[in-house]
Amino acid sequence: MSGDLSPVDDPVAGPFFAGILEGRFTAQRCNSCEALRWPPLSGCPDCHSRSTTWVEVAPTGTIWSFVVYHRAFQASLKEEIPYTVAMVELDDGPYVVGRLVPGDKPPAVGDRVVAELGEFGGVPSVRWRTA
Amino acid sequence: MASSRNPIAGQAAIVGIGHTVQGELPGRSVEENAVDAALLALADAGLSVDDLDGLIGCKSVQGQGNDVTVGQLLGRNLPYVQSLDYGTCNFSLHLAVMAIVSGLASTILLTYGANARTAKFDFGKPMYGADMASAAGLVHISGRAGLALQRHKALYGTTDEQFGMLAVGQRQWAQKNPNAIFRTPMTMADYLAEPYMVEPLRRSDVTMISDGGVAVVVTTAERARNLPQQPVYVSGIAEHAGVRGEHNPENLMRPWLKDSAKAIWSTTGLTPADMDAVYIQDPTAVWSLQMLEYYGFCGLGEGGPFLAEGHTLPGGDLPLNTHGGQLSESYTWGWMHMVEAVRQLRGQAGERQLADPKVALYASSHGFLKAAASVLSTEESVAA
Ligand SMILES: [Zn+2]
Repeated sequence: MSGDLSPVDDPVAGPFFAGILEGRFTAQRCNSCEALRWPPLSGCPDCHSRSTTWVEVAPTGTIWSFVVYHRAFQASLKEEIPYTVAMVELDDGPYVVGRLVPGDKPPAVGDRVVAELGEFGGVPSVRWRTA
Repeated sequence: MASSRNPIAGQAAIVGIGHTVQGELPGRSVEENAVDAALLALADAGLSVDDLDGLIGCKSVQGQGNDVTVGQLLGRNLPYVQSLDYGTCNFSLHLAVMAIVSGLASTILLTYGANARTAKFDFGKPMYGADMASAAGLVHISGRAGLALQRHKALYGTTDEQFGMLAVGQRQWAQKNPNAIFRTPMTMADYLAEPYMVEPLRRSDVTMISDGGVAVVVTTAERARNLPQQPVYVSGIAEHAGVRGEHNPENLMRPWLKDSAKAIWSTTGLTPADMDAVYIQDPTAVWSLQMLEYYGFCGLGEGGPFLAEGHTLPGGDLPLNTHGGQLSESYTWGWMHMVEAVRQLRGQAGERQLADPKVALYASSHGFLKAAASVLSTEESVAA
């Protein structure tokens, strides 16, 4: 995947992708109020501090919800359908969206998942696998 | 009469409605569609462009059709011209009411034009720029709406048959509406036989894309009394933001809709039971499910059984989108919802006319970011 769908060049989110390439799953933590946040932002929406540290988070969570795409809304997705996207509530708090790798049985809300780090479709990212 | 609780009550009224054919209008710009509709709305109101002192241009999905570009074609330098950077008809209506109550303008034309169908606008491009979600393939509104529905199903046991009552019901209404684009009968069996597009959503759960223009004229209650049409008064307005976006926990459920709901009922003193009809802007049927619950027409999580009972269908006690909405009538970002509410309140809705409706709710939203609601009425004062 590339072009319109690639987020890697984003200056705010950049450290996340760099972390993935080093094998670390990270999120932003506010240096002032210590709130964890995802997606990345240039400042804290709670206390407005701009001082942030990227910290490692546990790569585990539960499926908050998921959808299965049977239509490709972008040409680059044509060969991937059907594909599943899950919104995962991390054990550490934030919600992180990502592709879900189908397991032996159909996914369900509440299923435990583990993040797999890597380059998927050319984008350093996470992929969810049912635990 | 205005009160401190609701200072806008009954001060402004919709006095003109107009729209082009909805469908495919090749070779016509957003602005041309908007102006064609504008001239019809002015004629409906018994007014001319020279009676206006305000113009609000609602941008299209492509960012066209604002006050500046529509204004060139209308050709008048008016005291008040404005445009929202997004939106549905509700937000533009609120802007008009506020301009009238503040005295910035007294007779305002609101316009909307779309040509996204023939211009082949790419609705699959990332919604919020390139982010992790789009990298994962979470593109098109049906992705995020589908996540919300799947969650609803898991939490409350909502079934496909229950949820499908929205798509099927909207088609039943559309069959009574000569303006509607999708009028082919659709049974529940037909609906369930449709393959998933983005599971759990089917094609019929998501708006069509069509071209067309829509316009309304809003003026003071005082002036409205002397115009040819039955005035449709704006009895209350409310909004609430969810601009914290994905940093709201569970933002896909759009929990801030219940805040605009609370505000519209408290400002008007009315309740859901007072509504003779409800209009919910529905780019996906998930929006209707959510708003029926948040606005209190049924309990939270009870939308499925409520729909299955048939309240929202023709003949039911809560007529919903009596024109067919965005699922069956046309695209237009909720503008035709307001036109239909006015038609019903005037008694001009033909075969689908309700029995003497007096008050309607129009509820809408700007994606995952903002909510708006208006109560419209045939009466200047509808205090409960
Ligand atoms: Zn903070």
